[in-house]
Amino acid sequence: MINALWNNLDYAASIVLFLIGLYAVIAKDNLIKKFMGLNIMETAIFAFIVALGVVDGGDAPIMGEGARAPFTNPIPQALILTGIVVAVSTTALALSLVIRIHKQCGTIEADELRELE
Amino acid sequence: MVLWPHWLVAVIIIPLTGAVLTPVVGRDRPKVASLWSLGTMALTSVAATMLIIRVAQEGPFSYMLGDWARPYGIELRFDEFSASVAIICLLGLLALMFSYRYVAASIHESRIPYYYSLLLLNLTGMIGFVVTGDLFNLFVFMEILSLSGYALVAISGERTAEMAAFKYLVMGAVSSLVVLFSVGLLYAVTGSLNMADISERLAGVTDRLPVMLALAGMAMAFMVKAALFPLHIWLPDAHAIAPSPVSAILSGLVVKTGVFGLLRAYQIFYGAGNYDLTGLNTALVWLGAISIVMGAFFAIFQEDIKMMLAYSTISNIGYIVMGLGLASQYGMIGATVHIFNHALIKATLFLGAGALIHKTGYRTLTDLRGVGKSMPLTCMALSIGAISIVGIPPTAGFLCKWYIALGAFQAGQPFFGFALVFGALFIFVYYIRMVNSFYFQQPTHPEILSVGEAPLSMLAPVLVLATLCLVMGILGRLPLSFIEPAVLRMLGTFGG
Amino acid sequence: MKKALVSALLILTAIPLLLAVGQLPPHGSAKSPAYEHVSAYYLEYGAEEAGAENIVTDVILNYRGFDTNGEVTVIFTALAAVMGVLLLGRESRHPVEQPTYPPSIVVRFIVRLLAPFIAMFAIYVILNGHVSPGGGFQGGTILGALAIALTLVLGENEARRLIPEGARPWLQAAAPLTFVGIGLAGLTDVGVYLGFPTVETLTWVRTMWLLMLEIGIGLGGAVIISSIFWTMEGER
Repeated sequence: MINALWNNLDYAASIVLFLIGLYAVIAKDNLIKKFMGLNIMETAIFAFIVALGVVDGGDAPIMGEGARAPFTNPIPQALILTGIVVAVSTTALALSLVIRIHKQCGTIEADELRELE
Repeated sequence: MVLWPHWLVAVIIIPLTGAVLTPVVGRDRPKVASLWSLGTMALTSVAATMLIIRVAQEGPFSYMLGDWARPYGIELRFDEFSASVAIICLLGLLALMFSYRYVAASIHESRIPYYYSLLLLNLTGMIGFVVTGDLFNLFVFMEILSLSGYALVAISGERTAEMAAFKYLVMGAVSSLVVLFSVGLLYAVTGSLNMADISERLAGVTDRLPVMLALAGMAMAFMVKAALFPLHIWLPDAHAIAPSPVSAILSGLVVKTGVFGLLRAYQIFYGAGNYDLTGLNTALVWLGAISIVMGAFFAIFQEDIKMMLAYSTISNIGYIVMGLGLASQYGMIGATVHIFNHALIKATLFLGAGALIHKTGYRTLTDLRGVGKSMPLTCMALSIGAISIVGIPPTAGFLCKWYIALGAFQAGQPFFGFALVFGALFIFVYYIRMVNSFYFQQPTHPEILSVGEAPLSMLAPVLVLATLCLVMGILGRLPLSFIEPAVLRMLGTFGG
Repeated sequence: MKKALVSALLILTAIPLLLAVGQLPPHGSAKSPAYEHVSAYYLEYGAEEAGAENIVTDVILNYRGFDTNGEVTVIFTALAAVMGVLLLGRESRHPVEQPTYPPSIVVRFIVRLLAPFIAMFAIYVILNGHVSPGGGFQGGTILGALAIALTLVLGENEARRLIPEGARPWLQAAAPLTFVGIGLAGLTDVGVYLGFPTVETLTWVRTMWLLMLEIGIGLGGAVIISSIFWTMEGER
């Protein structure tokens, strides 16, 4: 089993990164840190998906002169292009909410905010 | 009847175009924005009607975007479950009508065109979610509806609203990521992103662990979106603090997309034929039962009327998920029709409550005492909604809960049938509180008696919905027999 | 205490996750189902059927164009969301004249000198997306970032003039509208939404439509990113 995991080290690393991000989301109090954790999780998932498409010794999937098989898989790259846009959108909205919360409550620490409720 | 195949694309593209043009059209003219969005939804409803007529006559059909064959292109697939576009369009129209007066009073003027844009985008996302046949497309539409949902909760600008929206955003974004992770896993083992294609290929996969992980991931993520215990903590604040038409859409439709996602996951895995789903089913049944009782229990103690309704939503989602988990024919049919019926009932209640709050300015049951005398039509509609949700015949809530209870007995687990009855008793208690407060208590604030009835643009949707609660109760057999072939098809491939 | 509990839970969760991931098809092999099924078809036929040599562009604009349609809607939703959450008055009424901490003269000079070249590079990336890495959204982001850099250096009121007030909502809606437009054109021409002509004689139509899509996405993306930044900045 360790051997299988060593072969798929990229996947395992992205899982660990995902869990680190999840820890930040749950355990950190500052709102900005919570949502940095979210960004780390998003990056981990994108890394996982792109790693799915890697081929040993592969070329970029661009035809034309000088292109030789094997090519890396184009589908995961298309998936994460959309994924990154989604992540940016979520980031923009989350930051806007933090700006407003800060303006109205004066703090962005979750425990202080809970007391204000 | 022009049964043009392109209606399937139109039903997504029309609200999408309407939504992106709303800030253009409605710039500095909030009334125009309102009418524009109403017109867009009306057109979408026409498209939705065409689609439902076709599926009722011919059964499920597909549309290949870009003319690429499955699985090389994206497929839109309309089956009986996708007929949910009907309720999406209906509630969308009524919520937009209700918003005409409501937002002018509660939302800053410069934000109003964006409110309508976000609401249309939310509806577009949901329509796309239920008609697509491609797993990654599902994720994209889920993000559209989620993002617009988070923003709509915070749009009133109140402090509590923004905090509720942030909590909702964090939990929702994490669950969306888990869905993306599961999609990646399923792609890795099958090589395809089309739901029907994945279903076929899953049968031949030898290493089961990644597939089970994908299923667990999707189940957990959709449980967060559906606010199933114990992942429900984002819901009460978000639904109670949002503007009332938004609460109606969130509780009636958006939260159901979680259930719908579970349904699509079931379709994929049941279709593969050789997967053992009893673990998931057991978990759903237990968590559903706990949600029913816990949601109803907490609702009894709420003073704020919208908080009460929000906990009631958690309870009803429990019914639906429990019905799905029972994996028996009656249970599933009852559950899927309850998606539709509960949407009607909850929208009646939230819009009615919104009308009360708009006219009186009060939100708690104590403050609203005696309002039955000054706003008789609205309170009558709310009472009809209350009776429906308890499940007394001949209202909309009765038949589907009856079917779910039958499903429990059919699956050989009568204990859960009793949980259902137990929950209904709790629900009865808190709705009696509400009716009591409206009609039979002395008013805490005497000026309540001189408040007039709600304006027509707000009253009409509430009355229409209340009437539909009664009508769908009497015509209850219709949706049940409509859904039956889809459920049988799904369970049949599993041999269960 | 809470942190220790959360860490313990997460380490426990890691075990089944790592086990499952170990069982995935081996990393980097060309025999995995992911590589052999749909991707193989794309790699083999993509360049002639779909009209671009960059297979990734084929996938996102042609085979899975509807996903990209959804993606530009998501970024538009982000704009509408930010506006809905932050707006408290008409955008143009901002009393801020100078940036609060004006950057040094060196920075200002370099940014203003480089701006046209950056813009040219961004346009190159947008237009060249179908023969080399790049594409609509990539170039659009560069343009958006350029607008942000110029705002930081020139001050908000100067930079806002880059995108005229009246045209702004149209430009923000540009990306989804371009998609719907091309999609409907495909409907009338090929018979299916987002269909592209595959006939030999009409490949120029296909290339033209792909280019228009790229430009629409790029322009729309750039305007949306800049607008989000300006709205957020106005809250200082």
